[in-house]
Amino acid sequence: MAILKLALPFLCVITDEGLCPVTTARKALEGGASMIQLRNKTASCSQLLSWGCEIRELCRMHGALFIMNDRIDVALASSADGVHLGQLDIPVKAARKMLGGKLIIGVSASSPAEALQAQQDGADYIGFGHIFPTSSKEKSYAPVGTEMLEKTASILSIPLIAIGGIDAGNASSVISAGASGIAVISAVTRADSPAEAANNLVRILKYRE
Amino acid sequence: MYIETKNKSPLPRICIVSSGMESDLETSPLISLLKHLPEMTPCMVQIREKHLDAKHLYTLCCEAKELDLPSGTLLLLNERTDIASAAEIDGVHLPESGCSPEKMRTFAPGLIYGRSVHSMESARIAEDSGADFLFFGPVFDTPSKRKYGNPQGLEKLEKLCNTTALPVYAIGGVNPENAGSCRKRGAFGMAALSLFHDIPGLARTIEHLYRIWQY
Repeated sequence: MAILKLALPFLCVITDEGLCPVTTARKALEGGASMIQLRNKTASCSQLLSWGCEIRELCRMHGALFIMNDRIDVALASSADGVHLGQLDIPVKAARKMLGGKLIIGVSASSPAEALQAQQDGADYIGFGHIFPTSSKEKSYAPVGTEMLEKTASILSIPLIAIGGIDAGNASSVISAGASGIAVISAVTRADSPAEAANNLVRILKYRE
Repeated sequence: MYIETKNKSPLPRICIVSSGMESDLETSPLISLLKHLPEMTPCMVQIREKHLDAKHLYTLCCEAKELDLPSGTLLLLNERTDIASAAEIDGVHLPESGCSPEKMRTFAPGLIYGRSVHSMESARIAEDSGADFLFFGPVFDTPSKRKYGNPQGLEKLEKLCNTTALPVYAIGGVNPENAGSCRKRGAFGMAALSLFHDIPGLARTIEHLYRIWQY
């Protein structure tokens, strides 16, 4: 699995619907992000494909992975490294059957049961959260917290990426709890200098300051 | 690894576009419509439920496919090639702004690819990029499309049909009264939504249209 080739723990930056995703990716990669996830629920397929191809090129140049959110068709057409599926996207089992071993499949989970099910259905990594309160997405449930993160990471055999309200102040706590990486949106995309913010997070992950 | 379409039937002349009113799978208008399709007059059915999430669309496609449909029925999904491919239905209908069928064929070669066009130029692009058929419209006045301006009319339909080698389905206000004139202008078939929403009258409507379209 390609994802395991990444040096752990690593930083994944998810694009922000309101900002140019290519610019976000470029800045995040300059700052040392190892994974970029293109997430946009409103753009047309051809727009997503055009962004996807640009971001894939940037990721290749930096030795990072490009993951497409939700759209397996765009992921395949843009030669992405993987696809990230939420609980309301194409079921993991169906995606794995369709793809064989072709793409990395990441899956969002917010409980140990969801995470285990996804692993069983063929996921390569779990995006687990939201760990802390977050403003990036409207949430219908309370943050899961680091204890639940620790419990879930301990029962999984695939990497767990912590997501939701993660910033420079709490990044090392989720790694200590067992996460293989962190995924952020606003902590990088809405920073004064996204590249510096990404670089700061990468240093924290590396040295656990 | 990818799915070959099992259904190699010719394209039906009549395409039913789903209501856009799916919510609960238990009371699905699409499933109810599919169960009432007449036996001897195969149709193409386009599942177009833009408000549904991918999981719901996938489940809906799987349930539709499991039904005992009249031989020759083709099931297509609007826009999402990945879901159509994963659910192993017959094809996908791409909007004018969608990705090119050529790109999609690299990973889902067995699907049928339709494409909506609104101009000669986009018909040419669609043909070059490997579409199997086109939707052109709105040919006639239809409430849902008034916000986009005047209908295209029969003249433009004819011009478009003459410039492309692909089968063209007339869409937008097409009904049993004007379907014959679309056929005379070169349309291969027709597509409609609300015309097919009256389930008790569905078989009669389709059989009526069939007599107009079948050569």
